Amino acid sequence: MTMTQKRRIPRLLQFALVVFGVYFGFILVFDVLLGQLIPRSLLTMYMVFVVSGALMTFTFTEEGAQELVAPIKALVEDPSRRRLRNAVFVMVPLLAGYYTYTSMLPGYEAPVELRTIHPAPPSKFKAYGKSYNLATLENPYRKYQKQDPAKYRELVKAGGDVYIKNCQYCHGDKLDGKGPYAAGLNPTPINFQDVGTIAQLQESFLFWRIATGGPGLPAEAAPWISSMPVWEHFLTEKETWEVILFLYDYTGRQPRSWK
Amino acid sequence: MSRLAILTFCAGLLIAGTATAKPGDAAKGKEIYDKRCTWCHGADGDGAGAAKELLNPPPRDFTSGNYKIKSSSFEDMVPNDDDIYRMIRDGMPGTAMPGWSDILKEQDMWNLVAYVKTFAGYDEPPAAQVDFGKQVASSGESIAKGRKLYEEGDRCVECHGKSGKGSASKRLKGDAGERTWPRNLTKPWTFIGSSEPKDIFARLSTGIAGTEMPSFADPRSKKKLSIEERWHVANYVASLAKTGRKVDAENTVIKADKVEGDLPGAPDDARWEKSTPTTFYLVPQLIAEERYFKPSNDTITVRALYNDKAVAMLLEWDDRTRSVPGDEAAEKLADAPIAEDGVAVQLPVTIPKGMEKPYFGMGDAKHPVNIWHWQSGAKDATESMGLANSRGFREIEKRDAVVAGLKANASYSDGTWKVLITRPLTTSSPDKDIQFAEGKFIPVAFAAWDGSNNSEKGSKHTMTTWYWLLLKPATGTRPLVAALMVMGLLAGGLLWWARSAKPAA
Ligand code: HEC
Ligand code: HEC
Ligand code: HEC
Repeated sequence: MTMTQKRRIPRLLQFALVVFGVYFGFILVFDVLLGQLIPRSLLTMYMVFVVSGALMTFTFTEEGAQELVAPIKALVEDPSRRRLRNAVFVMVPLLAGYYTYTSMLPGYEAPVELRTIHPAPPSKFKAYGKSYNLATLENPYRKYQKQDPAKYRELVKAGGDVYIKNCQYCHGDKLDGKGPYAAGLNPTPINFQDVGTIAQLQESFLFWRIATGGPGLPAEAAPWISSMPVWEHFLTEKETWEVILFLYDYTGRQPRSWK
Repeated sequence: MSRLAILTFCAGLLIAGTATAKPGDAAKGKEIYDKRCTWCHGADGDGAGAAKELLNPPPRDFTSGNYKIKSSSFEDMVPNDDDIYRMIRDGMPGTAMPGWSDILKEQDMWNLVAYVKTFAGYDEPPAAQVDFGKQVASSGESIAKGRKLYEEGDRCVECHGKSGKGSASKRLKGDAGERTWPRNLTKPWTFIGSSEPKDIFARLSTGIAGTEMPSFADPRSKKKLSIEERWHVANYVASLAKTGRKVDAENTVIKADKVEGDLPGAPDDARWEKSTPTTFYLVPQLIAEERYFKPSNDTITVRALYNDKAVAMLLEWDDRTRSVPGDEAAEKLADAPIAEDGVAVQLPVTIPKGMEKPYFGMGDAKHPVNIWHWQSGAKDATESMGLANSRGFREIEKRDAVVAGLKANASYSDGTWKVLITRPLTTSSPDKDIQFAEGKFIPVAFAAWDGSNNSEKGSKHTMTTWYWLLLKPATGTRPLVAALMVMGLLAGGLLWWARSAKPAA
């Protein structure tokens, strides 16, 4: 029992390890793995939760709490540690002062803009001068995939031509969202190769998105910044369904269906 | 440690070095080609894909046998397999040709090389290679020699301009009949065959097939360069890079510093040097009305300053041609009909409080925007500064720029436009004009027109989406006072604690 007690990492250190571990974890996941800088304000908010959560767990029992503060108390009360104490007492106010100073400097970081990428679609929408009911809307050409494969291939080819003439500039000719102009757009064009996009969606959803574009989005999806064009102005209804066939065919994915 | 260094070095070599050719299977290549490449290059390899007319440069016609990026001698049109492989793997920046290494396996790409070559009937390897001789390392001396050779007899200046920005004195065409613009050598990240001196050396030696960029190794050329001279020129070209003008995706805020006294009144005022530049991509207008597909302007750099009366924005972008309608020399260089060059700044009429902004494409019914539109003028008309309020593409109200206090001052020099626009912080019609305020993040967007390229005019232009303009408030003494207070309180508290703690038994 005493043996294991001795070997254990001091509780204060444990606490520090947990907090820093989570901090670097965030940075690793967001900045390195996802390649997306985590905004500072968001990180601060998360860390406040983490620190208070950890504090609560670590001080859950009376002993736990005492063990946590014991090294600090010892530092102040133990005369043999005077030197260390003096050093800490100089460092802590200096660090706090520095932190206050830098955080009070006016910030130049762009405001964070959060938007829903796949908002709930409306039940009905207007395009091509008529009203569509999203619950019942289906791709009228999908049936040829089974019924008439030759005709289906033709439709896919037509959809590919629509895509290369209209969509690749942004969504990329590999459908990976990295078209020649993608880097100049924020939000970036959707990556259709990603499992989280068209494979999760019904064809009717895509039809709605393509026909009505960025401006057709509800407010939570920030329609004012989406550069996705309103395709009912440029494509016929048939071309829109064809390009949808192409998106699934090229990526080898299947539309989501409720059947 | 050193073993690790050697290991990583070797791994680096493997990644960076050119691949060694592997035999490809043309029949297998065809399968991939038919799925992935026909869209642009056409089923018969003749470049006649559906988007042919919409892309510049157009997709390559492989039956022409032209390969732009090659390491075989200029005397032989046939490239090395490595050359083709490299373009398929890495793609060609600034064109629609992407790199394929992220979705195709190495062997697939070699199979494609084998198949693509069949369109021109290339079945023998090239007879001769570029002779690289002994590489001359870059140095001040070599760069100075290169510069002399670059300028001598207009060797490169004729097309690339004195500053290297490609401000041509000649109208150039590619073999497919397309308009070609000489590369902007100050932006090496737009080179299709990399900007390593060794690569530049190869381009100078082979020329760029299918374009007017000639070979300087060709002994018949009056502008011929020896191997050593080509290394000097390559080093000079590599030294032209203006990396400060490269887009930094993280930097989306134009930070305007506050100045005491007058704002700079001219684009070349030295005070601009001290302000922070922010560069954005310009993308062609692909979203409404008549769409635009073949841009020449690719980025815009913005600086801003303000004082207690007005804000000044300096817009700077490379444009190879000064487009002056009515001027014979300018019209000769331009695609007809020539139009004015121009630039526009878009700002919301009301600075948004929450997330909701006007639609980035000229605002919307609920959220009007101000558009400041500067145009370069024609032979018999001076430059002009326009102002409009719009609620979408169709609802545009022209207004008086002078009444709003908008002023412009522009300069064009050797391939670069600089346009300085100033406006008072506030105006007499706050319901129609943006009222600038310190410390607020103000959405801002830009557009540019190159009237010599493809008749850019009206909705045919390049643009950005929303970014931010921030008039940086002066720091003041608050942070310092607060920091001192926190330090004092904390130090006091700690002292009190130490004093009152009883020494441990
Ligand atoms: C000017 C650039 C641009 C062009 C051209 C463009 N898009 Fe988009 N598209 C976007 C952007 C940016 C988004 C992401 C923002 C959004 O959801 O509106 C998007 C989103 C989408 C979505 C939503 C996907 C999802 O997972 O919710 C679909 C579907 C789509 N685009 C299809 C197309 C098709 C088909 C074309 C050609 C007919 C096309 N786009 C052309 C920029 C573009
Ligand atoms: C979205 C259109 C597009 C697609 C798809 C495309 N390319 Fe290209 N490709 C181009 C364009 C445009 C050029 C010409 C660029 C230039 O001339 O600067 C080009 C040029 C090339 C070149 C010439 C390289 C050189 O040195 O001159 C090769 C080889 C090539 N492509 C191979 C392929 C292969 C293989 C595929 C399919 C895996 C493919 N391309 C798919 C647009 C495309
Ligand atoms: C007759 C006109 C002409 C002359 C003279 C000329 N160039 Fe070019 N150069 C071009 C054109 C056009 C291009 C772009 C070709 C294309 O569209 O791919 C180009 C492209 C380049 C590139 C880009 C290569 C890449 O990988 O993208 C470099 C570097 C270059 N030139 C350097 C030079 C140098 C150095 C000289 C003088 C020794 C020179 N050029 C002379 C017309 C010219």
